[in-house]
Amino acid sequence: MITITSSSWQTSLQRYWRSWGLWLLLLVAPVGARYMLPINGDGVAIAIGGELPLMTSPFLGVSLGIVVSTLVLPIAWLYLRSNTTRRQPWQIEEVTPGSRVAIALGRFGADVIIMLAMLTTLTFAGWFLGWLLIPPRPFNLYEITLALWLVAAPALMGLAALRILFDARPLLRSGFGDFLYFVLWITSIALPATTVGQVTSFATNMVDFAGFVTPLTFASPAGADDFAIGGIEAAQGNLQLDVMAGLFSPGYIQSRFAWAGIAVALAAIAGLIYRPHLVRRRAGKPGRFTAWLNPGPPPKAIPNAQPARAAALAWVSLFVTEFRLIGAGRVFLLLAAGIAALGAFMDFRHAASPAALLLLVFALSAHAGRSEARGLLALTKTTSFAPMMRRVAFITAGAAWMTLLALPVLVRAPSLETLGLAAGSGAVAALTASAIASVSGSAFAPRLVLLVLWYGYFSAPPG
Amino acid sequence: MAITNDGLTLDLRGVSKNYGRKSVLNDVSHTFTPGLTLLTGPSGAGKSTLLRLLATVERPSRGEIAWRGARLPGARAKLRRTLGYAPQAVELPEDLTAREFAMHIASLKGLASGAADKQFGAITDAIGLHADINNRIASFSGGMRRRLIFAQAMLGAPQMLALDEPTAELDSETARKLGALLLERARDSIVVMTTHLADELAPHATAVLRVEAGNVVRTA
Repeated sequence: MITITSSSWQTSLQRYWRSWGLWLLLLVAPVGARYMLPINGDGVAIAIGGELPLMTSPFLGVSLGIVVSTLVLPIAWLYLRSNTTRRQPWQIEEVTPGSRVAIALGRFGADVIIMLAMLTTLTFAGWFLGWLLIPPRPFNLYEITLALWLVAAPALMGLAALRILFDARPLLRSGFGDFLYFVLWITSIALPATTVGQVTSFATNMVDFAGFVTPLTFASPAGADDFAIGGIEAAQGNLQLDVMAGLFSPGYIQSRFAWAGIAVALAAIAGLIYRPHLVRRRAGKPGRFTAWLNPGPPPKAIPNAQPARAAALAWVSLFVTEFRLIGAGRVFLLLAAGIAALGAFMDFRHAASPAALLLLVFALSAHAGRSEARGLLALTKTTSFAPMMRRVAFITAGAAWMTLLALPVLVRAPSLETLGLAAGSGAVAALTASAIASVSGSAFAPRLVLLVLWYGYFSAPPG
Repeated sequence: MAITNDGLTLDLRGVSKNYGRKSVLNDVSHTFTPGLTLLTGPSGAGKSTLLRLLATVERPSRGEIAWRGARLPGARAKLRRTLGYAPQAVELPEDLTAREFAMHIASLKGLASGAADKQFGAITDAIGLHADINNRIASFSGGMRRRLIFAQAMLGAPQMLALDEPTAELDSETARKLGALLLERARDSIVVMTTHLADELAPHATAVLRVEAGNVVRTA
């Protein structure tokens, strides 16, 4: 067991070290910190009771932890999923007698090392930012480091554990897994707000997976323990916040260690519940619903069919094919029809268009991913239409799909603004999907990024 | 625009290909003409690299390639308009049906979709894949995937076919059917292929080129 864990750990680490994406990942957190921290009036402000706290060493550490929770967790998820989940030799591994728990723990260990390496670069960046921002107040490297690692390390270990867990089951390996992760991530940020105002204890801290609520609110002035991150117009910081008291408050450190322990346990559980990848074969007798989903038997072949000639309007043909492939499958068409019909009776900006976009997020990322797969590009780049032309057709088709989904709304209440919003958002979503898929060569990176953007679009306040 | 096979040649003149310091092909010169050309040689000799050069996937490190007398890359678009390429390994989109995938490739080739659909039906019928073209590729065996890759290469009326082991993973009966289709196409097209069935196809071939350690020698 130890040999397998060690081998799994070493080979995973070797693959990480050889991936150029690792160096980008190590840069993400420091660069994100530079632009997210409130420096010279820019960045994301953190307010307690409507007031900005003074920048102190432990407050800087917690602020960097918030950068990890809000920015790094989804990006690191993309990195971990793209490096190993997709390219493990599971066909060979799954027929070996090796313990899945041992393999899972080895991979989890490697993932944790990578995450902590990233946290180390963020720590160094935090020291530098602290040297710039904190004096003349006391500048303490230990306090920055302690606060950052207590907040962020368990969250990053949890991320690594989820990555291993989501690789253990067929359903979670799919796009559904990315969607579920997105939901968990948003929940992990939003849920701790429910504990504000409660007496701090181990139980309340266990609700705070991201780990930044108690350090910010524990020592806040009486009656001012509500907090806000971003979108704040508050007076320049004069609030003296004893973040260290929050870090050493009852149950906080214990809860952070508990989350780290849960992460290790989740990795082991992932090994226990592991199920092999599905090799899909044709079902012998499809049920009625499955049969309805399938396209049915092919048309009768014409043995002496002539070779296909060049299309008179090849551009149009390319656009139509992209349009069809984005909307491939009867499930998509059924959902699209439902959303379009219901959309006619709903507010377009805040109900109909988010629903339509959510559907398109999955359809666009799926088609962008399959078209940009590197193993397919070697073939498609030899065709008449270069990959860039197909991408243009894809973006146009994305705009067309969104416009089509908005059609009932446009018929009910014709509006150039609605038309522009529909076509524009469809085109932007398609452009984003295409650009990210062309870099990552897969569907899940654009899917997750689009989900994050979709959440921003959905939750943006009216007006 | 009508395309005839007058002057149908693909010329390699002093072509070499390096990957970093590693030389894979050395000073290859050959004129491919209509008919079947077989590439033989041991694994890793450079056969697939040569096919990728012919299929415009890669560019030579030295030397030049000319299609119908016009040099690449200038003439690359013209060659691609009439090229069929079947690489050895393709990352097929598992969630599409074979027919959807073929129509995707047909649109990228600029072919009329209705006619391409009919032609795809005829090709897959000839190689025993037709009954499965409305099934998802995820359900395909290795041999079915090979046939699908072959069928997409045959779409349209390619005058240049570059095929990397199209008969791999096929049973002898299917391989024979596929070979018959290729020989028919080779009457007025350049067909270049690597295959483990070289001995069986060699009597029908216009040329047999042996690739060994990056050097190409015509053996028949």
